[in-house]
Amino acid sequence: MTDLYGMPERTADRGIGRRTILRGASGLVGLAGLQACAPARMVASAPPAPLPGERPRLIPLRVTPDQLIDVKCCIRPLRAAGPNLATELIGDTLVVHNYGHGGSGWSLSWGSAEIAVGKALSVLPREIAVVGCGIIGLTSAVVAQRAGLKVTIYAREMIRRTRSFRASGSFTPDSRVALAAPAGAAFGDVWEQMARLSWKAFRTYLGLPGNPVEFGDSYNLSDKPIVKREHPADPAIIASWANTGLPQQNSEFGEYRERIRDIVPRPIDVPPDENPFTVPYVQRSSQMHFNFPSYAHTLLSEFFEGGGRFVNRDFHGPAEYAALPEKVVINATGYAARDLWRDTTIIPVRGQTGWLVPQPQANYGVRYRNIMLTSKADGVVVMNTNPDIGEMLGVGDSMELPDRGNIEEALKIIAPALAPREA
Amino acid sequence: MRGQTMRGVTGAVLFGAGLLGAGLPGGGGAAVARLAATPAFYTEAQAEQGAAIYGERCAMCHGAMLEGTYETPALTGKFVANWAGRPVGDLYDYLGRAMPQFAPGSLSGEDNARVLAYLLKANGYRAGQTALPADGAGLHRAVLPAPGPAR
Repeated sequence: MTDLYGMPERTADRGIGRRTILRGASGLVGLAGLQACAPARMVASAPPAPLPGERPRLIPLRVTPDQLIDVKCCIRPLRAAGPNLATELIGDTLVVHNYGHGGSGWSLSWGSAEIAVGKALSVLPREIAVVGCGIIGLTSAVVAQRAGLKVTIYAREMIRRTRSFRASGSFTPDSRVALAAPAGAAFGDVWEQMARLSWKAFRTYLGLPGNPVEFGDSYNLSDKPIVKREHPADPAIIASWANTGLPQQNSEFGEYRERIRDIVPRPIDVPPDENPFTVPYVQRSSQMHFNFPSYAHTLLSEFFEGGGRFVNRDFHGPAEYAALPEKVVINATGYAARDLWRDTTIIPVRGQTGWLVPQPQANYGVRYRNIMLTSKADGVVVMNTNPDIGEMLGVGDSMELPDRGNIEEALKIIAPALAPREA
Repeated sequence: MRGQTMRGVTGAVLFGAGLLGAGLPGGGGAAVARLAATPAFYTEAQAEQGAAIYGERCAMCHGAMLEGTYETPALTGKFVANWAGRPVGDLYDYLGRAMPQFAPGSLSGEDNARVLAYLLKANGYRAGQTALPADGAGLHRAVLPAPGPAR
């Protein structure tokens, strides 16, 4: 599932208000200040300053408890070594695994499917099976069709009732996707390949009817100057994944997002006279997100229009894969692979989202303290996280029962930050 | 509680099947005969104990009536269709290995058998004189039949 933290950590462009540079004398002071306190290369590499703007008039997001219409909980399938993309033979059937994407399944779906289908094609099949119909299975099926294959999906649910539909649905390609050490350096290259291909693929859905994929402004609000949150390794913590099977601190997680910083928008400081909120410090970024109903409809339509077949069934073990008529099978069973394939390397990471009544006029996101809101077509996503423990939140927790109180608490915390600024 | 409505389930199912069969061209008698031959896997006492365990360990996710949610599987209907036709030992193993999801493997063999008894009863399978074995012995040779026509 997609990360429940949603947005990447904000990197503050500390010591410089870019707008200030555009404003004559005060700008020069600002620039001088920057040169005095920052390495010269920062100036050289600074992106062009944005054009002068105005304080945007945002329609306030309604976050009263009466707006809460759903609470969804799901488990991300984290594997220390990263997603399983290996192949194995079960009898005479080639099984290509494509599961275990942590909180990055949506975000990496196209690139991961490209790799899995490439491996499936290695034995020149004319038809294949895909087991699982979450975002990874459905995308794998469509990619296989585009490669000319006849595809049957076998799954106990279509995507709308899978864990994929309980994600937050933002582009978060390195959320709990692997642990740095066991994944090794080579995984970074595979990750980048998947992330770049997925990014381009998602862009082909922008502007389509129903907006299956879209961008929105996202504001990071703070009472204090915003600094990038770091999670350095705590030397006092001796235990680690290596000796417990579970990550013990945030620094064990792999961070790969810097590899695609050239294409993914980065946050910028919003100067005080453009700040639409009463909270003093604000950054704005552009966040790509997925509108689940529209996206599922679009992908399922392509699948069925392309002659795809869906068979509703469950599986009880790997041997049943060998009994399928198709002799090449992509296994996209997500967290369910933990039991079905006895893959105990899958670490459950619990996550939860609350959903407010859709507010399409207020098409933006807000992050304040440990709360995040994202306005999407099927509702305003609410997440109550804990930035201090970062990726560790929910690790080892396979309880999938929603906790409404946690979301109600989130609404209370963020409400004051959304109060409209007086004219 | 569905568990309560299923009390005396054998007679009720047979009766219901008989009525249904009367309205169908052929097959009704065969359905009744098949149901009458349905093996009894558990005892009434086990199912009663299982109901209590279910209430504590399972109902918070699967619902007091085994109805499930949009996200969590119901333990009737499709659930039975999924497990019928295969050894009842497969379901026993699955419960013991994978459930409850928040603490998989935490049910004792005895409690696992009790919960299984409760699920079988709630799905229309009849109780008998022989208890489900706590160690699952022999259950891989016993195929779970279709539960019979729903009432």
